[in-house]
Amino acid sequence: MKFSYTHHMPYTHVEEAGQDWPVANKQFDPERGAELYREYIDNKVYAEEVGFDWIGCNEHHMSPYGLMPNPNLIAAAVIERTRTAGILQSGNIVPLTNPIRIAEEYAMLDVQSGGRLIAGFMRGIPHEYVAYNVAPDESYARMREACELILKCWTEPEPFGWEGEHYRFRAVSIWPRPVQQPHPPLVMSGTSRESATLAAELGATMGVLRLTSFDGARAMMDVYREVAKSDGWEPGPDHFMVGMGCCIADTKDEAVETMKSGQKYFFEVLGGGIRTAQRLVIQKTRYFEHEESRQNFPGLPSKVKQVPIEERIEKGLLLCGTPDMVIDQLRRVKAELGHGRMNLNIKIGNTPDGAVMTTLRHLKETVFPAVRDL
Amino acid sequence: MSFQENTVALSSGPLAYHVAGDGPPVIHMHAASGFRATAALEALAQSFRIYAPVTPGFDGTATHDGVASMEALARLEAEFADTVIGETADVIGHSFGGWRATWYTVLHPQKVGQLVLECPAGFREEGVGGLSPDPEELQRRLYAHPEKLPPETKPESMVTRNREMLAHYHGGKAKDDALVDRLNEIEALTLILHGTKDGAIPISSPRLLKRLIPRAFLIYVYDAAHAIEVDQPEYFTGLVGDFLTRGEAFLVNPGTDDRAA
Repeated sequence: MKFSYTHHMPYTHVEEAGQDWPVANKQFDPERGAELYREYIDNKVYAEEVGFDWIGCNEHHMSPYGLMPNPNLIAAAVIERTRTAGILQSGNIVPLTNPIRIAEEYAMLDVQSGGRLIAGFMRGIPHEYVAYNVAPDESYARMREACELILKCWTEPEPFGWEGEHYRFRAVSIWPRPVQQPHPPLVMSGTSRESATLAAELGATMGVLRLTSFDGARAMMDVYREVAKSDGWEPGPDHFMVGMGCCIADTKDEAVETMKSGQKYFFEVLGGGIRTAQRLVIQKTRYFEHEESRQNFPGLPSKVKQVPIEERIEKGLLLCGTPDMVIDQLRRVKAELGHGRMNLNIKIGNTPDGAVMTTLRHLKETVFPAVRDL
Repeated sequence: MSFQENTVALSSGPLAYHVAGDGPPVIHMHAASGFRATAALEALAQSFRIYAPVTPGFDGTATHDGVASMEALARLEAEFADTVIGETADVIGHSFGGWRATWYTVLHPQKVGQLVLECPAGFREEGVGGLSPDPEELQRRLYAHPEKLPPETKPESMVTRNREMLAHYHGGKAKDDALVDRLNEIEALTLILHGTKDGAIPISSPRLLKRLIPRAFLIYVYDAAHAIEVDQPEYFTGLVGDFLTRGEAFLVNPGTDDRAA
């Protein structure tokens, strides 16, 4: 089993963010922000020493949910202080940005890191489209076209132009070109049928970035496998990455309480404004092409409720407890889904950094050595 | 802007051609299916006078004695240009027509203004791409959006005969090495178009042309197969019209600044 470390870099000095979108930034204290950036980057760098294979950066906008509107800036900082870990960009949100810019910046990161970039092509979550004033109805069409264009930027030996529905460029030849040939490995979300299909078409690792049920994850993995099969290839375990929250402590009660507190903050403070924008996008646009995908989206207003932590642990949807418990939980998830990669989110809400470090220590000393061969 | 059919007497025999529009002259060299007045061409004829000679033997016409090679066709088309147009003209060639257009430009550079090669044949490796004998596979290779294809107006025998004529001129070969060796002689500003879903011409072909033609631009047309004019007529008309009008300045987004137009 291979592991990726995700850390959304939330701004945690807010007591009440409300439900408005966007979240007013008057509560952001730049001095505290500077401390958080230092602390969070130190933490991401430490993940390499813990034994994570990939260190992740994400893109989110206009809320305390995450302080990485441009994840490439954080990746550049992490690259300079690490040597072996892959740099997983679980952003850029492709339909929101000039694809040429993404191709260029990803190529920069790949060259800077000596070929350690794992290039995430993300469609993003619905509220990001409000932030950047891009029509959610166009998200899939933009996504599909932009992905093809970025791959062309990385693989064309001669200058070229592009004439498309959403993007037109008459002459392109990016500098630098990526180290990894023909291009860096790709990671894409597989949360919906449409996303899983595109991920398989491009041969990307499919991320079930937020595990909400084994059946739901298996269904999307099956979509991916079917598309791959019709394209003439068979995915292996490493083509699937499952994302889960993780909290490990010396006792089960301590881990559960820490997780509860962090989840409560995440749900009540960090997630408020986002849900407002998400509701508007989901209800008022064709962000999801298929009703099935819309119904499966965990952010759907009817589904937004706090499922008790104990229930989620019982269902195998959270990694939480003592090191031995988490080892068993990882074995269960592996047995259920057969995937080869895990993406762990440890800084959940305002989980104290001491607790984050405790989880990382347990992963390093006990859990990773026990599950590497899964 | 609809096309009118005419015939001109040339030294080797009568040559049918279609003509439409007003503006600077453009010669359009058709693909293996023969001449088709696509909506894209008709839109282009709003700004250009388009001459589309019918290759002898295509669309029910007779072959010409002594015209049985790509080079001979280029000479015939030069005589057509001298007789009917009488001045330098831009040239657009699609597929088999792109092959002819390339020979025409190599052999008669003084007659060519700018050159547009739309998915040109003649530059692919043997066994890759080409026209499949299986109708379904052929359709897939040619069209990303077959639903946009207008109803066929030519009898089946004519369509079949048109395809058979290819061997008469190039012997069925996939790659014209003699022409490849002369690509670096082309001085005309050249636009190479390739559909991102083209199943007839492999990607190595436009790359080869881009590498060897000195002043060439390669543009990928998204969500189009081999028949870009059918799959994405607006892209084709806008792009080609802009290139023919502004030359290399077509690289610059004109915005609302008249100086860029």
